[in-house]
Amino acid sequence: MGKIIVMTSGKGGVGKTTSSAAFATGLALRGFKTVVIDFDVGLRNLDLVMGCERRVVFDFINVINGEAKLNQALIKDKRVENLYILPTSQTRDKDALTKDGVERILNELCKDFDYIVCDSPAGIERGALMSLYFADHAIIVTNPEVSSVRDSDRILGVLNSKSRRAERGEEPVTQHLLLTRYDPERVEKGEMLKVDDVLEILAIPLLGVIPESQAVLRASNIGMPVILDEASNAGQAYLDAVGRFLGEDVEHRFITVPKKGLFSRLLRRSA
Amino acid sequence: MSIFSFFRSAPKPSAVQAKERLQIVMAHERVGRSGPDYLPMLQQELLAVIAKYVDIDDNKVEVKLDRGGDCSTLEVNIELPSRDQIKPPKADAKAAEAKPGTGNGKPDPAKPANAPSAGSVLTNGGVSKRH
Repeated sequence: MGKIIVMTSGKGGVGKTTSSAAFATGLALRGFKTVVIDFDVGLRNLDLVMGCERRVVFDFINVINGEAKLNQALIKDKRVENLYILPTSQTRDKDALTKDGVERILNELCKDFDYIVCDSPAGIERGALMSLYFADHAIIVTNPEVSSVRDSDRILGVLNSKSRRAERGEEPVTQHLLLTRYDPERVEKGEMLKVDDVLEILAIPLLGVIPESQAVLRASNIGMPVILDEASNAGQAYLDAVGRFLGEDVEHRFITVPKKGLFSRLLRRSA
Repeated sequence: MSIFSFFRSAPKPSAVQAKERLQIVMAHERVGRSGPDYLPMLQQELLAVIAKYVDIDDNKVEVKLDRGGDCSTLEVNIELPSRDQIKPPKADAKAAEAKPGTGNGKPDPAKPANAPSAGSVLTNGGVSKRH
């Protein structure tokens, strides 16, 4: 039976799609059969970030409406074994997502996949609610910035009251914090909220801290999940986060400014 | 650098201000979220019950809903219409004449304590809810 993970945040532009692509790829790299679904109906972008935009024929909404079969709409990733993408419609709106329809597709996917990663749209309306309703796990993507932290708190409230698990009084959705675009240098200068500040305010377990990195833009430019750029800090941080999600004890990295050795200090001074 | 700036305390780093602001705003927002929110419903139903017995003027109803840290208050002030306004004027005049101790037919200034007097106010239908 597959597990459903929602990547959500409330606020837009914090890195939900980047993180969905990276996380799903990371799970597939570990050998789990994984599908990542775009719930942002009308503003699809997961296909671009995953680099499969030219292979989209049918989409999530077509499958919900019975216009296509599920395996006609699933796109198999060309780089990573066990990884599939279910793109969404660019022309329809979010009303096309019905609870029954989404449930039917997720049930079908749960039979065949280990993990189903739902890339939520921003906001707390239909698309976002549908993406989190059936979730077993929620990864809250947050930037160390006031509006993002506040919106994350709001979405935590929604998870605790409007998810299926909440409605049925079952064990609550497991919550994980993924702090993205973290800049240790600005934190050290007192210009950015610290990891501990955000943890104190949101009070949910920390899954990972993804440092601000130029690799993220470079990766999305070429349609590659950043986790495949293993030389980059961001890629390594996502790999660590996937390990922690799977229950491994991985130490957090990239949270502090690396101590400069005497040699590099001298070099910088002379430069 | 003047000698005075040495004594002045350094301004708070912006990240510290961000944290403090978030803690304050979110403490308020979380209160409104916890538990089923029955206060607005209670308010509507209370008004409906009173309206069943008394003709309430919508402009004379004052409802205040205060959400505090660990205690919310629903305060309902309703101005009840005076007797004269309820009864038709003729009947009112007769009743005044029939009252003992009023020879001149003027309305008795001393009304029974339990009767709603003109402009009497039902104060503080105060309902408090502890979180």
